[in-house]
Order: sequence, then C-alpha cells, then structure tokens
Amino acid sequence: MSHEYVPEIALDRDGNEHVVQGWQDDFYGGKLGFWLFMFTEVMMFGAMFLTLAYYNTLHPHDFIEASASLNRLLGGTNTVILLVSALTMGLGLLKMRAGDVKGAKLMLYATIILALMFLGIKAVEWTAEYNHGVFLTLPALQSGNEHSLPFGKILFFGMYFTMTGLHGFHIIVGIGLMLWLIKRINSGKVTPEHHILHWNIALYWDIVHLIWVFVFPYFYMIGAAAATGGTGGH
Amino acid sequence: MDTNILNYAEERVRYYKVLIGLLLLTAITFGLPYLFEAGANLPAQMFIAVLKAWLILMYYMHLKGEKLIGTMTMFSLSLVFIFFIIVIGVDVTNFQFGAESHITAPEHTGGATHAAPAHH
Amino acid sequence: MSKSYFDETHCAIGHPKSTFMQWMLTVDHKRIGIMYAAVMFFFFFIAVSTAFLMRLELFAPGQQYIDGDTFNQAFTLHGVIMIFLFIVPGIPAIFGNIVMPLMIGAKDVSFPRLNWFTFWLYILGCIVAIASLFTDAGFADTGWTFYAPYSLTTGTNVIFTLVAAFILGMASILTGLNFLVTIHRLRAPGMTFFKMPLFVWGIYATAWIQLLATPVVGITLILAIMEKYFGIGIFDPSKGGDPVLFEHLFWIYSHPAVYLMILPAFGIMSEIIPTFSRREIFGYRTIALSSASIAGIGYLVWGHHLYTSGMADLAKTIFSFLTFFVAIPTGIKFYDWIATMYKGKIVLSTPMLWALGTIVTFAIGGLTGVTIAMIGVDIHLQDTYYSVAHFHYAMLGGVVFLLFAGMHYWFPLVTGKMYNEGRAKIAFWVLFIGFNILWFPMFIAGYLGMPRRYFDYLPEFTIYHQWSFFGAVIFISGLVFMFYVLIQGWRKGEPSGTNPWNATTLEWHMPTSPPPLENHSKVPYVDFDPYEYYHGEPVVKFDYETMRRID
Repeated sequence: MSHEYVPEIALDRDGNEHVVQGWQDDFYGGKLGFWLFMFTEVMMFGAMFLTLAYYNTLHPHDFIEASASLNRLLGGTNTVILLVSALTMGLGLLKMRAGDVKGAKLMLYATIILALMFLGIKAVEWTAEYNHGVFLTLPALQSGNEHSLPFGKILFFGMYFTMTGLHGFHIIVGIGLMLWLIKRINSGKVTPEHHILHWNIALYWDIVHLIWVFVFPYFYMIGAAAATGGTGGH
Repeated sequence: MDTNILNYAEERVRYYKVLIGLLLLTAITFGLPYLFEAGANLPAQMFIAVLKAWLILMYYMHLKGEKLIGTMTMFSLSLVFIFFIIVIGVDVTNFQFGAESHITAPEHTGGATHAAPAHH
Repeated sequence: MSKSYFDETHCAIGHPKSTFMQWMLTVDHKRIGIMYAAVMFFFFFIAVSTAFLMRLELFAPGQQYIDGDTFNQAFTLHGVIMIFLFIVPGIPAIFGNIVMPLMIGAKDVSFPRLNWFTFWLYILGCIVAIASLFTDAGFADTGWTFYAPYSLTTGTNVIFTLVAAFILGMASILTGLNFLVTIHRLRAPGMTFFKMPLFVWGIYATAWIQLLATPVVGITLILAIMEKYFGIGIFDPSKGGDPVLFEHLFWIYSHPAVYLMILPAFGIMSEIIPTFSRREIFGYRTIALSSASIAGIGYLVWGHHLYTSGMADLAKTIFSFLTFFVAIPTGIKFYDWIATMYKGKIVLSTPMLWALGTIVTFAIGGLTGVTIAMIGVDIHLQDTYYSVAHFHYAMLGGVVFLLFAGMHYWFPLVTGKMYNEGRAKIAFWVLFIGFNILWFPMFIAGYLGMPRRYFDYLPEFTIYHQWSFFGAVIFISGLVFMFYVLIQGWRKGEPSGTNPWNATTLEWHMPTSPPPLENHSKVPYVDFDPYEYYHGEPVVKFDYETMRRID
C-alpha cells in the first residue's frame, strides 16, 4: 500500500537537502495519532470517575457498604487475568518487532482467550447481582418503593453497572481489533517492517487495562474491610 | 521502521519484571483496607493505582523516552486532575445546602438518611 | 490548461469515473472543506429561518403564530443546529481543511482517509439531529443545553438529539486529532512552530480543545441517555442525583467549546490584518502564545454558567477570578492587531472591512461577557436577553463575521475567481447595520429584566422586540445578498490569479489558480517568517516550478 512511497527532498538556499515528511509511511505520526485518541478515552472515563467521586463525597458510608457487597474474589481474579493479558499483548508486539510473526500471533490468541475469560467472569458477577435484585431498572435501584436502597447505594450501583459495562464494551472492541489484526498479519499487510497497527492495538489494550487499574480499587476495595466474612460477598 | 531500537532479550526481561511489580502492587491493595481506616483507604488505593499506572505507561506503553508524547500526556492528566480539584475539592465538599437538600437530607426514604454533608 | 483540484482527485475507495462519486469518495482536504461548507450553510439557513420564526412570534406580546411548546422546540432546534452542526465544526472544518495544509506546505492532512470518514460521520450526525423533527414526539424542547431533570422527564424526542450530538462530537474529536498530528508532523522543512502563520496557531490551539474537551460532553450525553432509559440515578434528584453535576459536566465542554469557536476566527483576523495593512504583524509571538493560553485557561472557567445554580460560594469566587483572567490574552490580541494597523498602508478591501467590523462587534461581545463574569451582576442578568445579546455579539459578531471575512479573503484561492467588490461591500454594511439593530436593543431589554427563552412578555418590552425584528429583516436580507454575491462570483467572476491580495503566506504561492491536486509543485524550504513585508511589498518571492526562493 504505502510500501513504495519515496519521500520528497526540499533544497534550501545553500543547496542542502532536507527530507520532507509526507503523510504516507509516518510511523511516529501513526503513534502520535493513537496517543491523542487515548487521551480522549482518559477524558471520558475521567468524567465518570468525577461523577463517582462527587457522590462518594455526598454519601461516604453508603459507598463503603455497597462496595463491601461486591465479590472481591471474582474481581481480583479478573484483575490478575487482565494483568497477564497485558503481558501477552506486549510480548506479542515484541515478537512481531523481532521478526517472530508466528509467536506474535500465538500471543494475540492468548490475549483473546484471557479477554474472553474476563468477560465470562464479569457475566457471572452481573448475573449474581441480578439474582440478588441489584440491577438496572430493578426495584432496588428505583426510588420510593419498599425495596429501594438508600441514595448512595443506588448511585454507586448505577455507576458500577455503567462503568464496568462501558469497560466491558471496550474489551469486546479490543477482541474485535485483535481478530482483525490477525487477519491483517495473515494477509501480509502487517509485517515486522510495517507494524504500526500492531503497536497501536497493543497501546489500546494497555489503556483498557489501565482503566481497570482504577475501576477495580474504587468499586471493589473501598469497602473491603467493612465486608462481613472477608471476600465472600454476593 | 520504528523509533525504538530493539533489544529483544532486555525488553522481554523488562516485561516480566513489570508484571511482577504489578502483581505485587495488586497484592498490596488487598492488604491496604486492613491497615488504613475507611477515610484513608481510598486515597491509599488510588496512590497504588497511580503507581501501577506509571509502570504500565512507562514500560508497557513505551512512554519512557518519548519527549513530546510524554509532555502531552502530563498536560492531559493535569487537566483531569484540576477538574477533580475544582469539582470535588472545592464545589461538592463545600456543599452549602446539606441540611435542606432532598438529595442529602430526604424527609422519608426507603433506607438510611444522611443529614450532614461529607467532609474530608 | 493545467489541472486544478477540481479536475482530478484521490479517492478513499477505488477510482470512480463519475464526478458525483469522485466528490462522495474524495480524500482531498480542499474538496472535503468545500463539502463541509455546503452542508453547514444549508443547515445555517434552516437555523436562521427558525430564528426568524421566533422573532416573528415575539414581535408583539401574546400568542400569534406558534404556541409555547412549539416555541421551546424552535429555540432548541436553533441552538442545536447553530452550535453542533454549524459553529463547532465551523472554521476548522472549512478553512482548517482547505487552507491549513497549504499554509504549512503539506500535500494533505496526516490521515486523509480518516478525514473522509469524519466528514461522513458529520453527515450522519446531521441526519440524526434533524430526524426527530419528523417523529411523533417531536423535536426536543429542552434548550440546546439539555439540563436535567427536565431533559429526563420530557416526552419530546431528546434521545435523537443526544445521539446526534455524540456523533457530531466524535467528528469534532477526529478533526482535532487529524489537525494536531498534521501540524506536528507535516510542516515544511525549516518551518518551526514560531514560523507558522497565526491561522495555523489558531487551528492548533483549537484542535487541543476539540480533542480534550469534547469527550467530556460525549460521556455526559451517554450518561444522560443511561439516566433517561436505565435510571442510574446520577441526575435524578428522586434518587439522590444532583442536576448541578450535569451542569458541571456539560459546561466543562461547552465553555471551552466557545474558545474552540473563536480561536480559529482570531487566526483569520491575524491573517487579514497584516495583509491589508501591508506590514508585518505586531507581536507575533504574543499572539501565538495568547492562543495557547486562551485554550489552556479556557478549560478552567466553566463555572460562570453555574453562578445561579447552587454551587458553593468558594467555587463561584474562584470561577469569577479565572473568567476575568481569561479575558487578558484576548485583549493582548486586540492591541497587537491595532498596533499592526498603526502606520500601515491600510487597504479597505472587503475582507478588511469584515475584520474591522468584527473588532467593533467582538469588543462589545467580549466586554459584556466580562460584565456578567461578576457574580453579583450575573445574579441579575443570568438568563436574560443580556446574556443572549452577549453571546450573539461574540459568536455571530465574532466567529461568524470572521468566517465571512475568511470567505471573502480565501475566495480567490478556492475558486480561482473574484467576486464583485462593490456589491460585497454593500452586503457587509447591510449585515453590519442589521446586526447591531437586531442585537443591541437586547442588552437594554435584558438589563430591564426581559428573560430569555420566553415565549411571551410584559408589554413594556415590546419596543425592544420590534427593533430587533426590524434588524432581523435587514440582517437576513444582507445574508441572502452576500451569498448571492459570492455565488455569482464563483459562476461568473473574473479570474483572480494566484495571489490577488499580494500576501506572504504559503497558500498564496501556488502554481495555478485554483491550486493543483497535490498543492505546491515542490515543498519549499522555509527559512523566513510568515509576514515579511518591506515598504508594503512581500520580501519572499518564489519560482513556482521549483519552489526555490528567488529574492
């Protein structure tokens, strides 16, 4: 595609040559562009954390109690799974840059499997919460009925489902991106010499992990000491 | 071509070292709630999260050695931080209407009532 | 006959033969900019018509043509179109696309296919925004600010507009991203940041706001949708949600958004003033850095929209201080522009008339903004016609007037032709006079207590509404006449040549008029400042085949 691009040369008044940076074949530009996109993700999740902190400030005890009722065993397992998947993703990129295309694809498959495990455990958690009557649109999270939780807990769980839901959506998109990347590697469009796509998808996966690094302690750990029976929860 | 010179063995070791560091920090977050009382637990958790984020940014995302992108990252993160200071630190912690407002002092609810606004 | 970008183009997919498909699939930044302009002005005139309908209804107290609910939908439609479809894409979408790459000596933007995709994302957003007009529930009646809790409880079709605003926000983000990478990566060799034209500085500062502020409103709109349909509680007081939080999140974007509107406009001013004063701009570095500081400080002042909403007093004080502070860099620009004109050889062509007119109208808009930055005064003037007059003087008399200035300035570059100068000047005067008759009485009406977004009013305000209506008729006639002059210029105007204004910046040093597809024949080496004049003549001269300097 852009493999045959030959950059233009500009001559200054002394006759010195200067290479002109074109929009084609610009690895650094591709990297810069993706970092800028990641800043937008930081702003989006940042605004959600702002909302969370706002209501935490108004209802500190409700937040701790609601946090205590989450399942730290499942959440912690997910944290480790995502951590290891960041490693496999990074190793995959490293192998691609070193020329080991087969190893790179293997690592991508490993990352996909770990991501699917993450989603599976998340589904188990949400199902358990649904069975306890704590889910969006159920009476516990509505106001004014006999099952209504106090304000702080409604707000906690409202943001919990929104943020973990959006995070899960980003994981699904990540799995899609990794499958597409494998396809591009197989068709020879992504190679050790032209791997900006692999680089950027690895960055994407890192930021998905980064968001969980903040989501997990804020939702699961602030109530850890208040939980009766340790990490049992629901 | 890419902008980072590749030393495969060295980078591979670095990835594993960072993994160990992250796993250790995760273990610490599980211990923190028993060391700190509730009010200090959240800042402590966030501090550990920032350390983990720093490791991930510097090494997994290759930010170490990137001058321009590093500056842009610091600018964006500072902006988020300032939003937090203004909205949380200044506005809602000085919530003036806690005693009269329905959202902090409802007259009758299905659960607990909290009449006083939070103070850190 | 050499080829221009109208004769050939690059496409996102394949090599279509038909002219229509070549325009639909083009990745050329110049064509994309023209398409943005066509769509934006189409919607602009719809919003102007909606405004005229409101002015008509408000001519006399009581109900004449539309009822109160329809009136609410009308001002919402007017605001949504003007802000999200017209002025936020605004100058970056048109002139950022067409002119900025030319000014830095680039062949296109960094991501041309992303640029094409972004244009069609914008079109999708426009369609979704307007679609709710044709549904049973009708267009939203919440005002363009969608304040909770009303936006959560109203039966009108808010979700279409929320989704549309989200899509349009994504288009804005991607445009900003594209321009940021372009300006960092594709400047001609030798062009450091402080050798860039000031319009590029304006686009650069704007791109940072597009990138970092827009996601906040994007997620706010998603949270509003989650609240409305899943009841998560964050904006619903019956569940402990705080509507002031919605206002915080909304204005964290929407205030920087107004700087996003004005900074490219100031960039256009900084191009026109030196060209038509025939001398170098005064204070290049301070104007460049003031653009960056307006962008930076502008992120911190959003609370002045919330003075009357129940924020903590300490927060109000901090925001008031920061708002006064952000006016300073703008003042610096104004002094620099006036200093540039001092002892210059002023050429009163139409672009210069527009620029000078804007200095008057934006000064009024900006200064009245400073008045309502005072908390005590704002308690009295918030949500009155004073605010409405202030932001129309700033947005219409600042951003849109400079957009018109840019249209007249870069008209020969884009089309290769020249419009009728005499008629263009008449159009300016009709618009300038009509504008002031339309909006100035509102300052007085607002000061005396006329509230905004009101469908009816006490008889004592009638005279102001009548003056405004009279001004609106003149203003709209001027708009129609101005577009007539420009369209006639494109169809039948005289060929303009490549540099009719004898300007210095790189976009005027093209080999053909209109420019060829790949812009400059060769990328020049830039070892000169952007506004070098000597005794009224440009210093730098090029051989247009090799782009080597021959001065």
